[in-house]
Order: sequence, then structure tokens, then C-alpha cells
Amino acid sequence: MAVPASFHDDLRRIVGPAHVLTGIECGPYVVEGRTPEAVVAPGSKEDIVAILMAAGEAGVPVTPWGGGTTMAVGSPPSRLGLVLLLGRLNRLVEHEPGDLTATVEAGMTVRTLQETLGRRGQWLSLDPPHPDRASIGGVLSANVAGPRRHLYGGCRDLLIGLTVVTAEGAIVKGGSKVVKNVAGYDLPKLFIGAFGTLGVIVEATLKLRPRPDADRVVVSRFERLKDAGAAARAVMASDLLPSALELIDGEAVRALALGPSEGAVLLVGVDGITEQVDWQCREIERLLEPMGLREAKVLDGPERDRLWQSRGTVGRDAFAETAATMRWTVLPSQVAECMEQGAAVAQRAGLGAAMAAHAGVGLVDAALGGGADVDLDRVAAVLGEWRALVRGAGGHAIVQWAPLAVKERVPVWDEAGPALRIMARIKAQLDPRGVLNPGRVMGGI
Amino acid sequence: MSSLDPGRKAGLRRELESLLGKSAVLSDPEELLVYESDGLTLFRALADFVIFPTSVEQVAAVVRLANRESLPFVARGAGTGLAGGCLPAEGGLVISLMRMNRVLEVDYENQIAVVEPGLVNLHLSWAVGPKGFYYAPDPSSQQACTIGGNIANNSGGPHTLKYGVTVNHVLGLEVVLPDGEIVWLGGRTRESQGYDLTGLFVGSEGTFGIATKIIVRILRRPQAVKTVLAVFDAVEAASESVSAVIGRGLVPAAMEMIDQLTISAVEDAFGCGYPRDAAAALLIELDGLREGMEAQAERVIAACRENGAREVRAARDETERQLLWKGRKSAFGAYGRISPAYMVMDGVIPRTRLPEVLHRVNEIVGAHDLRVGNVFHAGDGNLHPNILYDPRKPGEVERVVKAGGDILKVCAEVGGSISGEHGIGLEKIDYMPLIFTEADLHAMRGVRDAWNPRGLCNPGKIFPSRKACGEASIAYRPHPIEAQGLAQRF
Repeated sequence: MAVPASFHDDLRRIVGPAHVLTGIECGPYVVEGRTPEAVVAPGSKEDIVAILMAAGEAGVPVTPWGGGTTMAVGSPPSRLGLVLLLGRLNRLVEHEPGDLTATVEAGMTVRTLQETLGRRGQWLSLDPPHPDRASIGGVLSANVAGPRRHLYGGCRDLLIGLTVVTAEGAIVKGGSKVVKNVAGYDLPKLFIGAFGTLGVIVEATLKLRPRPDADRVVVSRFERLKDAGAAARAVMASDLLPSALELIDGEAVRALALGPSEGAVLLVGVDGITEQVDWQCREIERLLEPMGLREAKVLDGPERDRLWQSRGTVGRDAFAETAATMRWTVLPSQVAECMEQGAAVAQRAGLGAAMAAHAGVGLVDAALGGGADVDLDRVAAVLGEWRALVRGAGGHAIVQWAPLAVKERVPVWDEAGPALRIMARIKAQLDPRGVLNPGRVMGGI
Repeated sequence: MSSLDPGRKAGLRRELESLLGKSAVLSDPEELLVYESDGLTLFRALADFVIFPTSVEQVAAVVRLANRESLPFVARGAGTGLAGGCLPAEGGLVISLMRMNRVLEVDYENQIAVVEPGLVNLHLSWAVGPKGFYYAPDPSSQQACTIGGNIANNSGGPHTLKYGVTVNHVLGLEVVLPDGEIVWLGGRTRESQGYDLTGLFVGSEGTFGIATKIIVRILRRPQAVKTVLAVFDAVEAASESVSAVIGRGLVPAAMEMIDQLTISAVEDAFGCGYPRDAAAALLIELDGLREGMEAQAERVIAACRENGAREVRAARDETERQLLWKGRKSAFGAYGRISPAYMVMDGVIPRTRLPEVLHRVNEIVGAHDLRVGNVFHAGDGNLHPNILYDPRKPGEVERVVKAGGDILKVCAEVGGSISGEHGIGLEKIDYMPLIFTEADLHAMRGVRDAWNPRGLCNPGKIFPSRKACGEASIAYRPHPIEAQGLAQRF
């Protein structure tokens, strides 16, 4: 779409010429095959206010960009105008260890935040993929979490306050910096998983936890996925309190370098005071012994960190050329069976599949193997069958990453249901001109 | 004050009776009186009808009728709210959900339960208890309050420090929207797609619609629980111990503080074993694995001792533990023995500011020549200064309201909130500008209008009424305490 020439001048006036990219310089900021008209890097929330007001006037759509790690998740924006980089807003605004809360700017990376908090004996109990690049604002916008979500909850459970700039240039604050607060609506919830369609997140206040004395993962190998799935359910039904419970199928085992591509692995994360962690490690082996456990080992330190980190990206890394990845949400009791049936569907279509699940939460990352000459219709057909399978189990499936040609064949989002009406009305209230990341979430919002 | 003429009221009554049955409709003034206030009796308002639906279809039919007739309506649970949140507008419908009180389904393997909104909070834990499960959010009123009411206010309780508030335990809601349409928000799975409407609905104080089915998480009972009582000669020492426990890397299930006046009241009433001469007591509860529990308790005890605790002891058995909790949970009732009335305040502060803020609270209350008892969730900074007063003494009510406002200003000043668990309701609408700007409120109103464009669903709550322009479809009317000359607009 054509952007008025004066708009670029407006941007340069607002943030300074050094922070505006145009033309070929926009190359690194392509979103789903489309190059933006301009890329702008504001230095403050006031800059963002001015940019959004100018964009609204000029009718230029704005796509917020944190670390860029989830730009390929969700529907492609229906129009791409301006990419708004949040990377310069990267300060720690406040951290009071005694309150177990921290306020950070949206562009700070997860890694930097964790290192800063770690020096004072605390951490944010979210472990999303790509911590080196993923920004706090992006993690919230895409509602990303990692294995520890099993015990400590996701973004929704940890976000207590948020400052956003709305499409109309208002700085709006929801929640606060106290952990318990019911004054007014819980607006922060609304921006989690909204992919920047309702406002640009500029600052977030998060609940923290003290760093545990010990933190390990028990890696248990099973001959069959079915057995590993039963083991996961047995852990859930026991007195154990694992921080993570991950079910990994054979192909994903190989991708994680946990062994050859056969059988399945159950990862049980345990953290807390040392006595508890020791006991849990012993108890896990005792519980799983009669359930087909072939071998178990305990990882700690850098080995554990590497495993958790590669788990975060296993979907894309499982194959030399991944055709598509999907995120399924099902009941925890259905995880193993859905994984098995899903793999069978892919096999019938002559494609490889790799699956890894946050088993206790019921979230499955399903990846489909491809190759340069993979038939896209076949890929689309498998994704469609996967979706039907997951729906049959009472859940829903979202295409996470796929080439545009596949996204054109399969709807990215699952069926929205009647609540979509409310979502669309909220969007209309907060972004009446439809300039914020248009088309990105379900129903074309 | 009903706005209905007698003929129209009789017609509506017949129609409601045909929808719900005769025994489910109240319209006589004497019967309606029971529903003219919630737990905060300072505010009263009479509905035209109080009705008792038993199904989602009945709720939807009544809401559609209200829309046709342009009558305001509000859902009501047990009425244990303390901010006037479920009061009707002058006239209109109160939709009581007390007859929709069943546990519809429990899925132990996936650790979820489907319940109706009128179910009493504690009854859910009773229902799943035999299989070793419980429902974690436990407001102090959990023996009476309903889960639907907890949804409206995003209720907390002593155990929110570790387990979070209601919203952290709600997965899905069947909702009758303000226009009568029935929709599901979220569901049985742990995540839904699109905007988190479930998360937004929880805590919306009944202004987005009426929840008719609720899917919650249930948790397995912890292997072990340890409750420690620490006794202090100075409130400051108790406050500092709270931060010291956290500083030792522990997140207890609960950390509750009880001050001297409250201890005396509780001992008079129940004899729970708190030392009467203590300035403050902390009730600290740990739960989780049996293994390592002693080690954690040792850390708690050491943290309290180092910060000046005069005495620290762990409950020896379940009976003693229950007795300690009884003191905490019955404190409000015990005030009745030492004062004809009290006003429960609800504010939140960053917990590191506890010593300073408690000092200021006592100063404020003293300056208004009143007494205050403090019993609260110290672990998450949720204060409950309970201002004792005698409504028969001229001028005391006014002083209580003034002192309460001053306390909330202090909470806002130190970066806290004006409500931790009771909500804004009618009580605090004029305090909202203490923590929110006009832009914040404008965004919230926009969100409210997206759900409730006609403003018929629980009107007049949460937002400060505007003097000049007035909101669409909600006419300006003075806040009840303003009308009584007790408070003024900021």
C-alpha cells in the first residue's frame, strides 16, 4: 500500500532520522513475505504515542515487533505498513525483591531479565523459546510459555500490571505493581495473546519467584509412547509436584539428541529445596519402574538448560526442512493418544511427524516433516486431519508456523465460536480505525 | 424506588411467573427488603423483582425480557460482597442464582470440575474432598459465598500468596450476555484461542453478563501442611518478618497478620490460643511435600526469630492448626463483641511498605477518634483495616467514611491498589481516580460497552459517575454516600 511521503518525515521528526529505516533497509523486517514501508524504533512511550497518532492519521497499519521470534505465528497481517521496533525500550524499571515483583519495558529480552533477576536470587517462572531474542512484550503478546508452565502457570498467571499505548495514542495502564488487585477490569489479561492488535505493550509488571535451591530434570525412556503417556498420567495422579512434565515422541527424542528415534521419553522437571528434589527424583523412578521404564537419568546445570532450550524450538528443529508446525490444546488425559493418532495420520500421507507436549497442561507441539518438493496439498490435508482429530478430543488446533502457501490452504486459527462477536467489538472499541496489526488474530481481527 | 406503574408491574410479574414458575418471583416490598443490600449495609436499593432461575435458558429468557422492557438487571449470589456490587439499580431485576447450585461434573483425571454459579465455595471442596482434591481459592467467607460471586469479584483469600486468586483457577464460563445470547468463553482445556475473555470476565463485577456454568481447576490435597504462629511485641517486627520469609526463598501458602485489638477480640470470642498481650501475630502456613517440610519450617522460624519474634511455634496437630485458623477466619465476627459496627476496608500495598503503611493507618484512624483492628493477608500486602464505630453516635459514620478514604489514598500513594479482593462496586467508584487516569477509565468503559452496550447489566458500578457529559444510557445520579452528604467527588 502507498504511504504518503510526508509520513516518513513525520517519523524522522518523532524518533530522529537514525531510528527510521526505509526501502532496502527494511529487508530484515519482512513479515510473512511482505516488506514494510518503513521500520521505526521509538525510544520512549511518548514516541510511540506520536507514531501511532501519525499512523492513524495517515491510515498506515502498524505491526509491533519485539525480538521477532513469533512474527510467523498466526495469520499474516492483512496489511503491512509500519513495523514498530520495541528493542530500544529495554530497561528494568523497578525490582523490589521483597515484593517479588518487577516492572520491565517491553523490549527487554527474557535472557537479560532472567540474568538481572538472578543476581538477586529471583526469576520469572516463564521459560519461552529463544530467550536470547524473545522480548517480554512479545512473549506476552503471543502468549508463549515453556515447560515450567506446568507448575507455575503461564503469562496469565504471572502478569499483574501492564502499560500499553492504544491505537488512538492514549497511554493506558491496567492492573498495578501489587500481586493482588481487583480494582477495575483486568485489562492486562486482554493483551495476552492479542498479538498487538489491541495496543502496543510498553511496560509490564510481573510476579517473580525465589530461585530454587536445586533444579533438575529426570529423563525417563520408554519403549512405547503409550507407556510414557501412562507414566505422565501416573505422575499427575501422584503426590509428586513436578515443575514440568513433558512427553516427547521418538522423532522429537532424536531432535533433542536424547537418543535414537524410537520409543518415547518423559521429562519430569523438579525444583525446590534440595531435600524435596532428592526425594522427588527417587520417587519418580520408583513410580515409573513398573510402567515400562527402560532407563532414567537425571540432568542438572548446563545440560538441563540445553535440554529445556532445545525443547522450546523442537518443532522447527525436528526436520531439516519442516513443512509446518501446529499447536494443539487438548485435555491432559488425551495427549498421548492424540500424539499417536496424529503421527499415524502423517505416516499415511507419507510425511514425517515429530511431537512434544507439555503433557500436564495439554499442549502439544506437532511438527510435520517436509522437503523441497513436498506436496503442499498433502501438507494441508494432514493439518486438516490433525485439526479434526484434536477437535474430536474436545480441543482446538492452531497452525503455528507454515509457508504462506500452506496458510492459504488451511485456516491458521481454529473455529472461533460465538464469543468472536465480543472480541471483534473489543477490537472496535480500542482500535476503531483498525491500524494495529490488522488481520493477525482469528476472525480477521 | 420503582419506576414501574402498578399495571405494568403486574403484567411483568405474570410474565416472569410464566417463565420461571410462581415460587421463583418475588415482588412484594417486604420480600424484596431482604435483597436491598449486600454485606455492606451502608448502601441499600430496592429492586422491582427478585427472581430465582434454575437453568441457563431461564436466565437468558429473563435477560431478553429485561432488554425488551429496558429494565436494568443484576446477578446475585449469597450477597456476601462488601462493596455494594450486587445492589440493583433503583428498580429492575435482581437475578438470584442461589437455586443453580449443583456440581455438574468432576473429571478427576484432568483435575477440573463443572459447577453452577450458586454453588457455595466450600461445598466444592467438600464434593471433591473424598477423592483427595480441593478447590484452592478460599475467601474468608467461603462457608457462605458462591463461586459465581467469586467470579464476579475475582475473590482471593489467605492462600492466594501461593495459589493465586479465582482467575488463576477458572478455565471456562458459560455466560448469558447482556442481550440474552448464551456463549462459552474458554472451555475445559487449559488454553483458548483469541483474546482471553474468560480472564477478563472474572472480576468484571457482573457488568459483562451472567455466568451460568463455571469450569474450574481442582487441586490434589498437599501431602503435608505446617502452620506456624509467630508472636511479636511490635507490629514493625511482624511486618519485617514477612519480607524475611520471602527473602529466604520460600513462598508459603499463606502469611496472615492479626493485630493486638483483633487478638483480644478473637480470644474473648473463641479462645484460640493467641497471646493477648502480643502486639501482633503472624500465621504462616507451608504446604506441599512431606519431605523437606521440617527444613522449610525451620527457615520460617529462624526468619521470624531474627526479626524479633517473641515466640514461634508450629501447630502440633490438625486440631491445633484448625484452632489457629479459626481465630483468623472468625476475626470479623469477633469484632461484634467489642463494637456495635465496623467497616471492612480493603486495600493493597507492596508488602515491603507494610511497617510504614500500618503506622499511617493507625495515625489516620486515631486522628478521626476511632479504633481500628487489622487482620489481613500480609504475604500479598492485602490490608483489611476494620474501623470500629457506633452508628448511633452522631457523626461517627461520616468519620469512618472519611478515615476509609484517607487510608485508600495512602495505599494509592505507595503504589498499591484500592481493592485487593472486595471489588469497587458502589463503595469505591469515586476512589477510582486515585489509581486510574481518565485514559485508563476510558479504555475500561470501552471494554464494558463492547459487552454491555445498553448498560442494562449491573449499571452504575465500578466507574465514577460523570458530572458533565454523562455516560451513554446511564443517567448521572449521585453516589448514595454523596447524597447523604458523607463524601464528595474528587
